[in-house]
Amino acid sequence: MGALQVLLVERDPHVRELETHFLEQAGFAVNAAIDGQTALELAISLQPHVIVTEVLLGRVDGLALCRQLKSNPATKKIPVVVFSILAANMRAKEAGADAFLMKPLAKERLLGVIHTLVPSPGLASAQESR
Amino acid sequence: MTETSDTARFKPAPLGRITSGSVQLDAILGGGFPSNSINMLMGEPGSGKTILAETLIFANASADGRPILYLTTLSEPLEKVVRYLQQFSFYDDEKLMSGAIRYESLGEELAKNGISALVPKLREIIKTMSPKIIVIDSFKAIHDLSTSLPEMRQMLYEVSGLLTAYEVTAFFLGEYSEDQIPSYPEFAVADAMVELARKKQGTRDERYLRVLKLRGSNYQEGLHAFRITEDGLHVFPRLTSPDIPMRYTANNERLSTGVEGLDRIMQGGVWAAGATLLEGPTGAGKTTLALQFILEGLKRGESGLYVNFQENPTQLARSIESLGWNFDEARKKGLHLLYASPVELQIDSILVELFRTIKEHDIRRVVVDSIGDLIVAASDLNRLYSYLYALVQHFIARRVVCMMTLETTSAGVVPMEGQISALTDAILRLGVELDGGKARRTLQIVKARGTNHDLDVQELRITSRGVEVG
Repeated sequence: MGALQVLLVERDPHVRELETHFLEQAGFAVNAAIDGQTALELAISLQPHVIVTEVLLGRVDGLALCRQLKSNPATKKIPVVVFSILAANMRAKEAGADAFLMKPLAKERLLGVIHTLVPSPGLASAQESR
Repeated sequence: MTETSDTARFKPAPLGRITSGSVQLDAILGGGFPSNSINMLMGEPGSGKTILAETLIFANASADGRPILYLTTLSEPLEKVVRYLQQFSFYDDEKLMSGAIRYESLGEELAKNGISALVPKLREIIKTMSPKIIVIDSFKAIHDLSTSLPEMRQMLYEVSGLLTAYEVTAFFLGEYSEDQIPSYPEFAVADAMVELARKKQGTRDERYLRVLKLRGSNYQEGLHAFRITEDGLHVFPRLTSPDIPMRYTANNERLSTGVEGLDRIMQGGVWAAGATLLEGPTGAGKTTLALQFILEGLKRGESGLYVNFQENPTQLARSIESLGWNFDEARKKGLHLLYASPVELQIDSILVELFRTIKEHDIRRVVVDSIGDLIVAASDLNRLYSYLYALVQHFIARRVVCMMTLETTSAGVVPMEGQISALTDAILRLGVELDGGKARRTLQIVKARGTNHDLDVQELRITSRGVEVG
């Protein structure tokens, strides 16, 4: 098994760049999309271990993306973290998200939440080797 | 998933605050600087920007948390900043040694690549250090390096985007003036602006700070005095009227002044919630009468505070003993003294101590001796009037009875007479009359709200038992 895959859905280039950096540094493989429609297609084709999405996105917003992911048998088991500038914690929960994080980005908070949803990359590799 | 972990996973992050390192400045800012914001600390050279930033970073640094980064640019060499920093009491070697606070210079990169060096440097810093606070001192030096307004705007757009994306609070220091705010684009990206200024007042300088902008916060407007000492910045918030709403209920309680004859003509004494002014020339007995008012309270188990700008504590102790009291005994019974030299008096500087004493010791009687010293110390009489008005309102809200003294000139002129009169419930005019070669002291009730009194001039005598009237 290779590195655990994270799909980032984020239109802000600074947030996207920093998120990618911290996740790759922690051993994840990162793919990114800047709108909800592309993210939905990538989720189906890549089957990432976790999806991190902003609410404010083009084409399909982050909450609609979350609802579509959770209603599609092909993607419903993928954990979704809503990571937003909006205090949309309850709306994220209603949309079926597995966790909510408020911006701005902080490395420890992002990795902390992701680690509650998927095993750490190192642990996954160790389990795989057994 | 348990309910607890479910709740934790959907909890929105609270909007945090960063302490400025000063309780008083935090109160002015409505709780501190907002975290994850861009803040401008502006003012002329020597106004205290760097000391404020340093107080702030040492107050927020912790060895087990994310670091704080202090970036110097092209204004002062890094070594000079660190050398002068060590003279302050908040300086802590350990915070530098442990890496909780890191000082770096951007000077070389800026000199080589111009302002385009800043964004890649900040990006690298965030990726490698994840600092919780970044200070850039001086940001104005970066502005001065820019070759065009579009270049500066482009750079600020990137800086602002980067600093907003990550959980970091930034402080940009600069020798900016207020008139540059509309035209300098860095102010457009700032969430908060605090200006530090210095004003010549007689033979000394008075320092002020002012919040010009603070997004999403209910801050205290206006000029707030501060001093720089070896402990850093001491801020004295501008006195404003109390938040406690005033009630339309009459309080008919009167307090004895300690002078039987005066109580008699004032129908029992002064109002229990109000202010009395004692005005008169030197030697008329203002301080003696005011002291007697405080000592009478001690006899009745009421703590008193004597705020004094002329007599030092030794001189005051002598005055108290001349009224038949043992000074130490008076202290034990609840006499509190607040002395401030008139030479260094800044009218806002006494307030923190004054209200702390009132609260901690349940003070019931206060004397301010004298307002004349506040008039001399104040840079602006309109500001002084607002100050005195708010001060009296605070006393009333706290059920503290106040007596203030004011020295009149030989011509009988009282500065701000009409305004001060409006603040007080009673005005007692003390005088010295010459009759041939003989002088006698007098007292006249000029004003006493809600009291039937005549305007007759009474005789006032100072004996070994204190002031006697009538």
